[in-house]
Amino acid sequence: MASRKSRPSKSSAPRRAAKAPASSRKAGTSRKPAAPSRPSAASRALTFPTLHDSVTSSGLKVVAAERGPLPMVSMRLVLRAGSANDPADKHGLADFTARLLRRGTRRMDASAIDEAVEFVGASLGVGVGEDNLSIAITTPAEHFAQMLGIIGQLVREPVFPESEVADARERALAQFANDLDEPSVIADRAMVRALWGDHPYGHDVGGSARSVRAFTRDDVVAYHRERIGPKVALLVVVGAVDPRRVADAAEEAFAGWTGGPEERRVIPPLARVAQAGRVVVVDKPDQTQSQVRLGGPGYRLGHEDYFPSTAMNVALGGGFTSRLMSEVRVNRGLTYGIGSWFDAMSADGIFAVSTFTKTESTREIIDVSLGEIAKMRTGGIKPEELRDAQAYMGGLYPLRTETNESIASSIADMRLNGLGDDWVLRFRERLGAVTPKQVAAVAKKYCFAEAPAVVVLGKADAVKKQLKHLGPITVVPASEYE
Amino acid sequence: MRKASPKKAPARAADPALQSLFDVHEATLPNGLQVRLLENHLAPVVSLYTFFKVGSRNERPGITGISHLFEHMMFNGAKKYGPKMFDKTLESNGGSSNAYTSHDMTVYYDDFASDALETVLDLESDRMRSLRISDAMLASEREVVKEERRVRTDNDIGGLMDEELGTLVYKAHAYRWPIIGWMADIDAITREDCQAYFRTYYAPNNAVLYIAGDIDPKKTLALVRRYYGDIPRGPVPAAVVNAEPEQRGERRSVIRHPAQSPAVMIGYRGPAARDEDTLALDVAQYVLTKGEGSRLTRSLVYDQKLAVSVGLDWSWRIDPGTVLFFLELKPDSEPQKVEAALYAELEKLARDGITERELQKALNNLRSDHLRELGTNNGRAHALGNYEALLGDWRHVLTLPSAYAAITSDQVKAAAAKYLVPERRSVVTLLPAPTEA
Repeated sequence: MASRKSRPSKSSAPRRAAKAPASSRKAGTSRKPAAPSRPSAASRALTFPTLHDSVTSSGLKVVAAERGPLPMVSMRLVLRAGSANDPADKHGLADFTARLLRRGTRRMDASAIDEAVEFVGASLGVGVGEDNLSIAITTPAEHFAQMLGIIGQLVREPVFPESEVADARERALAQFANDLDEPSVIADRAMVRALWGDHPYGHDVGGSARSVRAFTRDDVVAYHRERIGPKVALLVVVGAVDPRRVADAAEEAFAGWTGGPEERRVIPPLARVAQAGRVVVVDKPDQTQSQVRLGGPGYRLGHEDYFPSTAMNVALGGGFTSRLMSEVRVNRGLTYGIGSWFDAMSADGIFAVSTFTKTESTREIIDVSLGEIAKMRTGGIKPEELRDAQAYMGGLYPLRTETNESIASSIADMRLNGLGDDWVLRFRERLGAVTPKQVAAVAKKYCFAEAPAVVVLGKADAVKKQLKHLGPITVVPASEYE
Repeated sequence: MRKASPKKAPARAADPALQSLFDVHEATLPNGLQVRLLENHLAPVVSLYTFFKVGSRNERPGITGISHLFEHMMFNGAKKYGPKMFDKTLESNGGSSNAYTSHDMTVYYDDFASDALETVLDLESDRMRSLRISDAMLASEREVVKEERRVRTDNDIGGLMDEELGTLVYKAHAYRWPIIGWMADIDAITREDCQAYFRTYYAPNNAVLYIAGDIDPKKTLALVRRYYGDIPRGPVPAAVVNAEPEQRGERRSVIRHPAQSPAVMIGYRGPAARDEDTLALDVAQYVLTKGEGSRLTRSLVYDQKLAVSVGLDWSWRIDPGTVLFFLELKPDSEPQKVEAALYAELEKLARDGITERELQKALNNLRSDHLRELGTNNGRAHALGNYEALLGDWRHVLTLPSAYAAITSDQVKAAAAKYLVPERRSVVTLLPAPTEA
């Protein structure tokens, strides 16, 4: 399958363009401009299920939301145990531990767990981000209690068999090696390091070949003991199930769960972008195309700049009519994908641009992009451009209330980051209230007021000479990011 | 083409959980445009899909990739809404749009706030009626597509191997070339080629419209008639000839490319989507690779530790398609050894079939995945279109669960024995080569 703006799959088979676009962006949201008198869809109230709170005797907070019509349930246990909690010399330990949770518990070995989940048509996923470690199951509704019991087992009594630890390490090392053949993956990894440096967010969630190679079973056992427990967890269950049954099943699955920290670790904000004003060239001599990343500071989750910044970003590098898309792709044919986004995490965040172009036009794409960002910084946004951005996001925001999974994810975000239970329902109204003046203020702040960190992955020989006067250049081999 | 299957017919009842969700209104306009409407008021949003019955299957050497390049051109201006106006109008009314091209079809979709429905119909009918193709736009879009080719194929191991595999599996059929086209062909396609393409394949009688979401079906159909009714019917596109000769033995190819690890991609010539064996192969796919406890993942990744991951893609196509395996290996892997381990599993499947428990597990997962696919308006509209395009009727959305439930383990075994054999096999091996500086 080939598509206007989607990522390829391994095969060219006709599969839906459901994956993130190459210029992967966080989708936006909003509401229509001050509408005429007829009731508009964008101002119509959203359907959001009622939240039912309970707490298990072990202290685990539970939120249940009943929702049909499909006979399915989506549940996720979110723990404040993401990669920012990795010990300084053990980057990737949170992710490594999370992968091993399903490889055996006191009562079931890995095959038995797989069989219990997969036989009924449920699917289990374990994921780690900078802040959180999540375990999620989507299941036919009639099996929800049994599936909740399995999540309980995974966090309460994993045994981490020695052989499973060794095998997981081998698989991870092979994956790190193979990642070197994925230009966008390595460019992203280099960007994380260039932005965050030594900050707890400054390493790849998976760590590196060097750190993972040294992991032992003791490391994993210690991480589980110290970081995973009911006081830093939230359980969200959304779907075709009565909230009272959720509370009962949660009690059964998590009663007596102990361990982990009393409260979540506080991560400091970022003092300064590590490679601000500097250029990192990641050398991959076989490339005919350069991957380009530009980045600077952003803001933390729940920050007051969120709505004006979100509106600004739609106009700059969000939708298909954004300034960056228009200038770089449509007018000049320099790329297939370009996007900008704010990545907000609990402690701090970044603002970044991601794109790619043939080797020969590497400098041009950087200059055109920086030019557009500078224009936004100095000129702000026109009122009609803001109205369009608000209408775009406002019209599409209800899409986020369509599935059990997306609602569960919104609930977890609201609760863990103190966004308030009315976050989804009032989102469009708040975005609609943003003014051009507020956008100008955030543009001035985030559109690279200080020179950004620049990462280019490509053929260093050909690229380096194009990059004069952008800042001091460091050339590193791709293998640096294994 | 569809083979009758009398013994399964009674089982193909509509799934009760789905029946109530799929009250589909159908219509055909005098110009041949087919319309399917599905109401759902859960959220104030609508998805509109347009399926055009054209893909790389309808191309010829010299203009490979035109279906996909043309897909891009559909966003570059028509008579009423000029260059950039499609996206601008849609986005500023609370919508977004995308499209994809496959071997068999070209598919456009819009997600939007429900009060933008009329605007979207205006936009979509404008470009179906009177697309404008300028030399300047074509020149610029050509460069965009070349960047897309660079990112998906030329600088992507999976893309390189997939392209090579297509040329091995198919000798005569248009499935031979990549959907995105050969680089030189992308450069050679002319404005006249595009215009001829538009007249033939983008006429209303070659399209089906699917609208799902917060709509009133009656009023929506009236709007569709108003906006699309005057678009003239086009010529009937030429039928695609499947001249593919019989395969008489295994085919192999080696790619040398700078890489950390070797990799193996294997394709078996399978049946057409409408063949009854297709569903049995779906079950086989789930038994082999769906989930961590599936046969191949457990055997090749966890027990024998030969592969980092193993994938199986059995994608339905109008003409006989490919059962495709992809083995991601480790730097020190020996591809022959991994191949042998895979073949041993496939022989076991063809010899011994699957257990009743494996069958039930596959059916449970096929049903879950089917339900999940139908969780959104976009998913529903796409499913209707996809099943209609490949199987001939959107009603398969309702009956697939029971069609799968009628599959027996003997059928799965027979399908494996028929298709997953060396005589139908093509193998592409990628071997790491030193980097050329």
